Amino acid sequence: MSEILERFQQAIIHGDSDRSAEMADAIIADGKTTPDEIFDYLTQAMEDVGSRYQTGEYFIPEMLRSAESVEKAMGILEPYLFERRHDQTGIIVMGTVKGDIHNIGKNIIVSALRASGYEVHDLGVNISTDKFINKIREVNADMLMLSAFTTSTKSALIDIMEKLEKEGMRDQIKVVSGGASHSEEFAREVGVDGFAKDVKSTLAVCRKLMGEQS
Amino acid sequence: MNSRERVLAVLAGEIPDLVPIIPVVDGYFAPKVIGRANDECYLDGACMAQALAAAREKFDYDGILAEMGLGSNPNVLGCPVEVEGNDVPLVVDAIIGGREDLEKIHPPDPWAEDKMEPVKQLVAAAGGAHFVLGSVRSPFEYAATVRGLIDFMTDFYRDPELVKDLVAACVPVTLAVGRALVEAGVDAIVMKDSFASSSMISPDHYEQFAWTAEAEAIAGFKGLAPVVLHVCRNSMPILTRMAETGADILEIDSPVDLAAAREAVGDKVVLKGNIDAMSVIEKGSVADVEQAVRLAMEAAKPGGRFILSTGDSIPLSAPEENVSALVEFGRKYGRY
Repeated sequence: MSEILERFQQAIIHGDSDRSAEMADAIIADGKTTPDEIFDYLTQAMEDVGSRYQTGEYFIPEMLRSAESVEKAMGILEPYLFERRHDQTGIIVMGTVKGDIHNIGKNIIVSALRASGYEVHDLGVNISTDKFINKIREVNADMLMLSAFTTSTKSALIDIMEKLEKEGMRDQIKVVSGGASHSEEFAREVGVDGFAKDVKSTLAVCRKLMGEQS
Repeated sequence: MNSRERVLAVLAGEIPDLVPIIPVVDGYFAPKVIGRANDECYLDGACMAQALAAAREKFDYDGILAEMGLGSNPNVLGCPVEVEGNDVPLVVDAIIGGREDLEKIHPPDPWAEDKMEPVKQLVAAAGGAHFVLGSVRSPFEYAATVRGLIDFMTDFYRDPELVKDLVAACVPVTLAVGRALVEAGVDAIVMKDSFASSSMISPDHYEQFAWTAEAEAIAGFKGLAPVVLHVCRNSMPILTRMAETGADILEIDSPVDLAAAREAVGDKVVLKGNIDAMSVIEKGSVADVEQAVRLAMEAAKPGGRFILSTGDSIPLSAPEENVSALVEFGRKYGRY
């Protein structure tokens, strides 16, 4: 394991924004790390933070502290990542569903999608159904990505899917839900086109569904 | 005993005829009882008063939560709020961007624009026969609202002194609203501190940022009215400290084991709770409601000092038969 990436990961787990930015600079200066390696370490850091939350070691402020350290690092890393991979096209609207304010996973996914070339409109957290619908119309999105950390937000996901149907928009857009607790069964119950648990599976499902779209 | 006497007996440490029943029926569920949408009643306090009184009458529980008027209005401090249809009101913009904005926090004039009139209407509707609880936010919850929850909780590490100063600045707001509720005639104040939950912040952060303000506000209400301290979801790790705020009643949510809660706080405070509003009342069957009520009574009824309630707000989509069952089985298993 690269020492720089290891330190980068630890800085995120412990929510040390200054350190995560310092390590992001070091990654660029080193120049040997691939985007996939960066996202792998980010995913592991995210899983570690999520696991600490589930076991009661971390609470919302600790999650937010880690999210802030990711945001600061990605601000530095994004141009580096963009240079290396920019092969996908498509417009994505993304946000964390109503009733959920988790943003660490979403922010990493947003960075990964932008680094891959997608135009991503990140609405933030605790987003109402109407805000998703309005944004999809405004930007003529190809895909809607819904972040939901826990399965307790299932009703919010179902509400969005029902509204897409009601507004006659369902056939024009692919919908992907994501979050640590997601499963194929959960995705099927909610009625989305795909689901993802981490960066790699998100990029894979986007490529697949955008391919179907075009 | 009438309903109000039943609750007063519990507060006095006496054994009533029946365990009082006061579910958390508020702006989520009550408007549909009179066929109105949530936004109509949120914007029209008289509508909410009518809905809350009608819900109490329909299901025949012992007390009414005055969840309207100034106390429960999230724009009490000037934050813009959106509400549409049956959604609950959402604060859409924070007014505190940083320390330089602290001077924007002023206690509101509770009597401006007849804002307390609906509370008076509800007290009149209760007619002295039913217990009326007036709802106010804790200083910690007001602080989170005016700063925006995410920035507020990010500040725990980024700028803890700002969190402390902001929460302290909100103490007079809670006091002004709570005192106005008492003046309008409520029997007790429910101080909601939802974000202080151990499902959201650590017990250390509760101690560091929320507890002192809770205790100060409750001390400010002493002699005026009993105080119910409400914390959502898991409050077990902080329960003894909640009791030490001086609150008269702790409203506890379904993740807390009632028997363990009683053991932790003894008979110093009344416990109010804690039927699961979602998995039992919204999603469960009548048989599920009966079982939950029976277990709650077994855990907390002995010795008095217990009010049967839901742990949190009954959702809009809860079937009315389950609310009826809560009261029916509450009476059946709640007899002393």
